Amino acid sequence: MKKVNLSVNLGSLKLKNPVIPASGLFDLDGHTQLPYNPKILGAVMTKSIFLKRRLGNPLPRICESAAGLINALGTPGEGVEYLIKNKLPVFQKANKTVIVSIGGNGTKEFKLLAERLDKVEGIAALELDLSCPNNEANIIIAKDEFLTEQTVAKVKEVFTKPIIVKLSPNVTDITKIAKAAQRGGADILSLINTLSAMAIDIKTKKPVLGNKIGGLSGPAIKPIALKMVWDVAHTINLPIIGIGGISNSEDAIEFLLAGASAVEVGTAAIINPLVMVEIIQGIEQYLVQQGYSSIEEIIGLAFK
Amino acid sequence: MIQVYAKVLNQTEIIKNHFILKIFSPEIVKEAIPGQFIMLSAWKQGDPFLRRPFTFNRIFHKEGSFELLYKKVGKGTEIMSYLKPNDQVSLLGPLGNGIKFTQNMKRIAIVSRGIGVAPMLAIVDSAKEKGIEVYAYLSATTENLLLRKEEIKDQAKLIYITTDDASLGVSGKVTDFLEKTLKDTKIDAVYTCGSKRLKNHIESLKETYDFKAWVILEEHMACGIGACKACICRAKKANNHQDRYLLVCKDGPVFPVDEVEV
Repeated sequence: MKKVNLSVNLGSLKLKNPVIPASGLFDLDGHTQLPYNPKILGAVMTKSIFLKRRLGNPLPRICESAAGLINALGTPGEGVEYLIKNKLPVFQKANKTVIVSIGGNGTKEFKLLAERLDKVEGIAALELDLSCPNNEANIIIAKDEFLTEQTVAKVKEVFTKPIIVKLSPNVTDITKIAKAAQRGGADILSLINTLSAMAIDIKTKKPVLGNKIGGLSGPAIKPIALKMVWDVAHTINLPIIGIGGISNSEDAIEFLLAGASAVEVGTAAIINPLVMVEIIQGIEQYLVQQGYSSIEEIIGLAFK
Repeated sequence: MIQVYAKVLNQTEIIKNHFILKIFSPEIVKEAIPGQFIMLSAWKQGDPFLRRPFTFNRIFHKEGSFELLYKKVGKGTEIMSYLKPNDQVSLLGPLGNGIKFTQNMKRIAIVSRGIGVAPMLAIVDSAKEKGIEVYAYLSATTENLLLRKEEIKDQAKLIYITTDDASLGVSGKVTDFLEKTLKDTKIDAVYTCGSKRLKNHIESLKETYDFKAWVILEEHMACGIGACKACICRAKKANNHQDRYLLVCKDGPVFPVDEVEV
C-alpha cells in the first residue's frame, strides 16, 4: 500500500495520527490489558482528574439506550497527586503524547490543577472538561460564555502548553461558547461531550441511574456532534477535535471532512476494544483509495 | 485477553429460561481459569448496545471449548437463547481475576444459591483435577433450580442441599450445614456466589473457623476491562479507611469475602 501521511498538527500539538481515546472510557494502569499496543494511537488521554480524590456516583452508573450509552459515573478518581505519581508514568510509557483531562468544581480548581500540571514533564496538552454534567453542584462552566472565557483565561495564565477546551452540546449556540473559549486563550477545541439524558425503569417507576441523570454517548449522538463540529469549524479558526459516537473509520472521516483535525473515540471502544486500531487503518485506506497523500488535505473539505 | 469470533457448538435449555451454551474457542480457553469471565456479543446492529458478561461455567481445556450457564432475563439473553450450532458470537476474554488454588489446599467448599452456581462447576472440575476434595453446599428456591446439581454431585465428596420449599433437602440456610462440617473437618477455602446472606454468613463463620473465603460477584458491565468504572462494589472499610469502590471486572470478580460489602 502507498504510504500516506497520517500526522496532523493541531497548532503546536503534533499527533502521528488523528485518533485519540476520549477521556472517561479509557484507562491504563500497571495491570490494564488491552488487545492492542496503545503506542499506535495518536495520543493517550487520562480520565478527568480533580484536585482531590472523588468517589464517584452510586450504582447503577450506566444504562443502555438505543444506539447509545447513558453514564453517570461522577468522575471517580484518586486526585491529581496520585495521577502524577502513579498514572502518568504508565501513560507516558504507553504513548509519547499524553493529554491530561482536568475537571473542577469551579474556575479556581481548574487553575490550581493547571498550575500543578505545568510543573510536570511529559504532558503534551491539557483538555479542560468544562462540560462534565455530573458534578455535585451541577455547575457546568461550558454552558456559560463568561465562565468559559474566565476559566480558560485563568488556566492560560499558568499553563504553557496547548490547552484543549472540551465543549458541551447542552447549550443553545455552541459557537458562542466556542468563541468565548477562544477569547480566553484556547488553543484547540474538542466537541462534543455527552448529551444530558436519563432513563426511567417502568417497573420501579424510578430513574435507572444512581445519579438519576447522566450523559448520552454512542452512535445515537453522532449526527448531532457532526453538525456542531461543522458549525464551530465554520465560525472559529481554531483546530478542532471531533467527538461523539465515532464508531468506525467512516464516522471518523465524516468528522475530518466537517473540519475536525483529529477525533476522540470513547463509547465504541468499550464494545470493540480494537476500534481505534481499525479506525486508523480505515482512514489510511480511504486516503490511498481517494488519492490523497496526507490527512491534512481532507480536513474541512465538506465546506471548502 | 483477546477479542475473537467463536462458533457455538450447542445449546440446551435445561429448565425453562435457563440455558447452557457451549462455545468453541481454543484461544480463549488456553488462558481461562475458573472465576474469570468473558464479554459476549451475539448481536451486530448495536441492539442491545453493550456486550454481556458471563462467567465460565465449565472449561474444557482439551477440547478448546467452554460452557456458559445463563438465565434469560432481558434482550441480550433472549437473543442468545436462539443461538444454534455454528452460529458466531464475538468474545472478549478471558477477563478478571480467577481462582488460584494454592499448593497446600486439600479440601475446599463451594456455597452457592440459584444461578450463583454458574462459576462453581468450573471450580469443582479444576479442584478435582488437582486432587483437591470438594464439599458442595447448594441452595435454591425449589428443586429444579438446583442447576448443575448432578454434575457437581458426581465430583464432590459430599453435597448438601437446601430449598426454600423443601422440595429437595430441607429448607434453611445451607451455610448451617457448612458450619456443621467445619466443626470436625478442616476446609482450606470456601467459594461462594449468588447470595448476600450466604456470603455474610460465611464471613462470620470465618472468624470462628480458620479458612480462606472468596465471593464471586456479578454486576452490570460496559467494558469488562477496567476502563469505564461502571461495575463498582464497595470495599470494606479497614481501620477507618475512607470510602472506596472496587471494580468487579478488574479487581474481581473473585474477592476475599471480608474485603467487599454486598
